[in-house]
Amino acid sequence: MEPLHNLTVKKIHEGLQNKAFSATEITREYLTHIKNKDAKIGAFLKVDEEGAIKQAENIDAKIAAGENINPLSGVPTAIKDAILVEGLPSTSASKMLENYTASYDATVIKKLKEQGVIILGKTNMDEFAMGASNENSAFKPVHNPHDLSRVPGGSSGGSAAAVASNMVPFALGSDTGGSIRQPAGLTGVVGFKPTYGAVSRFGLMAMASSLDQIGPFAKTVEDATLVFDAIKGADPMDATSVNTTYSPNLLNPSFEKIKELTVGIPKEYFIDGTEEDVRKGVEKAIEKIKSLKINIKEISLPSTRYALPCYYIIMPAEVSSNLARYDGIRYATPNRNMGEAENLLDLYLNNRGAGFGTEPKRRIILGTYVLSSGYYDAYYGQAQKVRALIKKDFDEAFSSGVDVMLTPVSPTKAFKIGEKADDPIQMYLSDIFTVTANLAGVPALSLPVEKPTAGNLPVGFQLIGRHFREEDVLGLGMYYERICE
Amino acid sequence: MSDLSKKDLEHLSSLARIRLEDKEEEKLLSNMKNILDYVGTLKEADTKDIEPMNGGTLQKNVLREDDQRQETLARQGKEGFPTKHGDFLEVPKVLNN
Repeated sequence: MEPLHNLTVKKIHEGLQNKAFSATEITREYLTHIKNKDAKIGAFLKVDEEGAIKQAENIDAKIAAGENINPLSGVPTAIKDAILVEGLPSTSASKMLENYTASYDATVIKKLKEQGVIILGKTNMDEFAMGASNENSAFKPVHNPHDLSRVPGGSSGGSAAAVASNMVPFALGSDTGGSIRQPAGLTGVVGFKPTYGAVSRFGLMAMASSLDQIGPFAKTVEDATLVFDAIKGADPMDATSVNTTYSPNLLNPSFEKIKELTVGIPKEYFIDGTEEDVRKGVEKAIEKIKSLKINIKEISLPSTRYALPCYYIIMPAEVSSNLARYDGIRYATPNRNMGEAENLLDLYLNNRGAGFGTEPKRRIILGTYVLSSGYYDAYYGQAQKVRALIKKDFDEAFSSGVDVMLTPVSPTKAFKIGEKADDPIQMYLSDIFTVTANLAGVPALSLPVEKPTAGNLPVGFQLIGRHFREEDVLGLGMYYERICE
Repeated sequence: MSDLSKKDLEHLSSLARIRLEDKEEEKLLSNMKNILDYVGTLKEADTKDIEPMNGGTLQKNVLREDDQRQETLARQGKEGFPTKHGDFLEVPKVLNN
């Protein structure tokens, strides 16, 4: 069998079709690798060895019976712990859900299971998807596979690290303000946040419902596209999901057409405070795209400077109401009996005080503040208007002929564990280039400038596209990958 | 600098149903002040005549005819609940004597 670091979703599919290996063999190979490697990385919260082998045997039986298999059949994966997989613990890396087992599958999981994907386990994350370093997990931090003293980014840090360390060929994460793209950038893998509404959120623990989207981590843009294709589509269980017909170009882009795209470089994304290596990396990516004779033009998105403050009002506001469901009684909360509490209010106060970590508490209380009478208009109301301005910036740039925007993913490379843990604002700044895509609802892809080499920390860049034009960003990403080979 | 006081924070945390330890409260108060100063920069943005964006898209709500649907996850919900009495879910006593 080929070494795991060489394997992509596409190669595994070919290997299974050619009978170079069986689904059971490849599953065991990955499980062994996880056993050997994850103690140092901490990417997994739960590994479901038995379930995975059973799923793999089913696929092998299908192959033996001569059935045609899907592109994702028999391909192992790992799922962020905020996404429900029936029968497996789903804790969102919070003590609040320590004893909770999911009783149904999220729609994306249902779709992946129909494809025959093998779920190896659930991945570590920042508690309730709140963080940019994965240090906010209530159970253990995740270490960056490129340098174990550094963070993998967050909040989907476990999924990113699992792919970057070859423990799975692809994984699912969720992205509310950059939680797929930033960790992808910091670990040197591909991460994709689809258009708001392109993928059902049913079965994803809600953080900020108007911003959340589920998306893939993979080693190549081509693989990420295969996964997106499998999980997309309208769902009666998510009223914000949209039925869109994608052209066949999504999976098989015409590079002749890609060459005709116009790429915009928004000047507001090239600011002081961005690390030199990041700046150089992104410039390198721009030069490469220029060498393809793709039209590049500088553009302006004037409301960009308001994006992060806007995000840090809208997101906590939604968090404060979404996390009200964790009342300290439901979801098998520990100490859910009255114990020392004298009345029900005491029980809520005690269990929510003990169950939530620092960051969820901070955001719930901040959200309560910006929504409270007397402050609502000044904070939340104003933020909703600024959000409309940010979207307007994007709409105007796209209607002026720009098809895709190219920006950095985050202002720094992977930072040291502990470096920003005591300074929330420094941590929040990690998302300064990614939150805009969530606020505007547009698709955005994070991909490495070049294949990470030993001793060097990865640098990523971001491609942002029009609503429901994932084929532009993914197509350009695939073209970029091809010229880098 | 935001004028959020210790008393305000205590009120907010009680509204949010979160009991804070004293030490926690101190740190949170200073963090919150910094964050509120940071997000307060939004007040400078000129939003005159701008319609607020209320959700993930600017699409309009659509209504449909009422119809009967059988889909429900009540069974799974019950299965996932840790303490039960037959078909009833067991929770702590809500009413005081």
